[in-house]
Amino acid sequence: MENKVFDICIVGSGAGGGTLAGHLAQKGVDVAVVEGGPPVNTRTDFNTHALPFDYKNRHIPTMKPGKAGFDSERTRGVGGKTMLWNAVSLRLSHRDFKGYSADGAGADWPIDYPDLAPYYDQIEREVGVCGNRDGLEDLPDGAFMPPPPLKLGDLLLQRSAKQLSIPIIHTRKATLTRATRMRPACHYCGNCMAGCDVAAKYNSADVHLAPAMNTGHLTVFANSIVREVIVSDENRATGVRYLDRITRQEGEIRARCVAVACACVQSVGLLLMSRSRLYPTGLANSSGQLGRHYIPHFNSGVEGFLTELINRPVVNDEGFVDHAYLPSFMHARKRDYARSFGIQIYTGISRTTGWAREVPGFGVAYKRTVKQRFPAYVSFQCFGEMIPNGESFILLDETQKDTYGLYKVNAKAVQQENERRIYDDMNKTAVEILRNAGGEVLSVSNFEEPVFNHQLGGCRMGSDPRSSVVNAFCRTHDVPNLYVVDGSVFPSASEKNPTLTIMALAARTADHIGDRFKKVEI
Amino acid sequence: METRREALKIIGAVGVTCAFPFSANQLYGQLAHQHQQSPPDAVIEEVPYKPIFFTPTQFQLVSRLADLIIPTTDTPGAVGAGVPSYIDLIVSADPKLRSLFEKGLQRLDVYSGSTFLQLTEAQQVDILTAFSNFLPTFSNAASTSIDKSIEYNDGLFFRAIKNLTADGYYTSRVGLLQELGYNGNSVLAAFPTSTIPEH
Repeated sequence: MENKVFDICIVGSGAGGGTLAGHLAQKGVDVAVVEGGPPVNTRTDFNTHALPFDYKNRHIPTMKPGKAGFDSERTRGVGGKTMLWNAVSLRLSHRDFKGYSADGAGADWPIDYPDLAPYYDQIEREVGVCGNRDGLEDLPDGAFMPPPPLKLGDLLLQRSAKQLSIPIIHTRKATLTRATRMRPACHYCGNCMAGCDVAAKYNSADVHLAPAMNTGHLTVFANSIVREVIVSDENRATGVRYLDRITRQEGEIRARCVAVACACVQSVGLLLMSRSRLYPTGLANSSGQLGRHYIPHFNSGVEGFLTELINRPVVNDEGFVDHAYLPSFMHARKRDYARSFGIQIYTGISRTTGWAREVPGFGVAYKRTVKQRFPAYVSFQCFGEMIPNGESFILLDETQKDTYGLYKVNAKAVQQENERRIYDDMNKTAVEILRNAGGEVLSVSNFEEPVFNHQLGGCRMGSDPRSSVVNAFCRTHDVPNLYVVDGSVFPSASEKNPTLTIMALAARTADHIGDRFKKVEI
Repeated sequence: METRREALKIIGAVGVTCAFPFSANQLYGQLAHQHQQSPPDAVIEEVPYKPIFFTPTQFQLVSRLADLIIPTTDTPGAVGAGVPSYIDLIVSADPKLRSLFEKGLQRLDVYSGSTFLQLTEAQQVDILTAFSNFLPTFSNAASTSIDKSIEYNDGLFFRAIKNLTADGYYTSRVGLLQELGYNGNSVLAAFPTSTIPEH
């Protein structure tokens, strides 16, 4: 093993790395996946069905006692963040790829919807995405399984929104609603983000890596924290240097080609740490663009109650968390900002009721009010697209090292005027729909206390090597056999949850790399 | 609602990354013990409970306050659900909460003129109502710098103990299952179809 040279070494095993590895191994490419965390058995290791009162501090740990994994903010474990995601799977539209052309802000992608459409098709069939075909211009339909029914609260909000000419649709998730040959259907236990114990919800370890193991072309190095991508003086990536998480011993994996896919911020961090004679400011950073254009989603939220559901008998409608989604509809409206937003809509009962704090008063009346509102709770979770700005970037903090001796990676995001306008409009829209449905507003989030989600940007994709880090095939402009395959390559974020697009990009990159091996370019 | 945000900021409970950054996922306990791997607790209620942080008198006072916030009705109240021991656990782990509670509990006695615990229930409710009204709105706080005042701290203390009581109660077996009637976390063959009822 020591002297083996793999065809490709992929750093990270989540949506990007896992998909890339699976697809390449199936093509007969010899793949090494290097993952910082331990292997995790979804059937036995997650605490999926625990309830808060099983724990004194009411915090349910992700892993069962004695099981390792997902113990740090870096979500280390084979499968990466796909183990704990909420599985919302949305296609980007033409307008998302060409946002700069449409409204003059941010950057266009060098690819367009037709380039990615066949890969969206392929991924949706592979992973199983449920959803309704809605025929929307801004949210292309796909190869869907039927969605689970909307909850009663969703229907009430949908009816209200329709009166305001705003669409509310079934959400689209990579969670099976029908059993497949390999995986059972969702059983609606309501705790998706604790890790699905039957893999009805997609995760890369069970769906992409496990089958690829059977090809004999995949080797997974778990518990191996990559600290450097090695580049030769001839400007070729030759492998990675890693630290064994348990023994702390250094090791090296050699390969003809390297792909960095360890989630946006950490991928940028790894490249910034991989300095060499050719790249003194970070690998693939000849443009000076590495770490810039950091564009995570910014979130706002509105909570309240649907009057029609107050004091109704409790039914088990926790479902697979959120069933409804408000897709971007802004292109059809007059507005005073660039880009758009989408809203995840959550209704129904839930095992956590933090909102009870906000119900006014105390005593018998308070207790009654909370109980009556339990079946009527509504939460709008809004996602806005950020326009890249000079204050938002990813940077190494060279004054701080983690327990593995790696520099701390800082991601800083700053909301500006365009974000404020979107923020106000998305909260206004949510409040309007709730009020029009005859609901009570409990709380509205505040712009001055920003919340970000979905790390994106930092290794911008573009056709000009002076203003971008990777090309349309996720290959770095600087090093011809180095790829970056995760959310960091997004030149503009769109308001849509990014994972399906990361997987489609990985599938497209796999085709491209496979072709290059066939043509003996690598 | 700005009031709430302000209170949260001071107590330090904001900033959770998840699909639902604003909703029910923000509980003090979850944040304070984020990376602890505690095994399931076979018995939540140890009898008698020995407080980690509070003195026996303070613990009595906390228990009384929790029961005033969520009293016994046709289901047990906060004390019956073991909330005081939850509050003790969370407060013990957070320096800001420790100081807020120490001062706040003292202030209750100052207001009582003697000992809060010796007052009648009506008198206790009156004092707690005053505390619950002290937290100014965000705009007031900005214009009058009232946030430095002792009363503002009393308001923060009330918010903290109310939040902890609500968190502790509605995540307890009594609160979640018996009081709210939560019946999820089960295996459904299919998700039931809903229709909007005709009026």
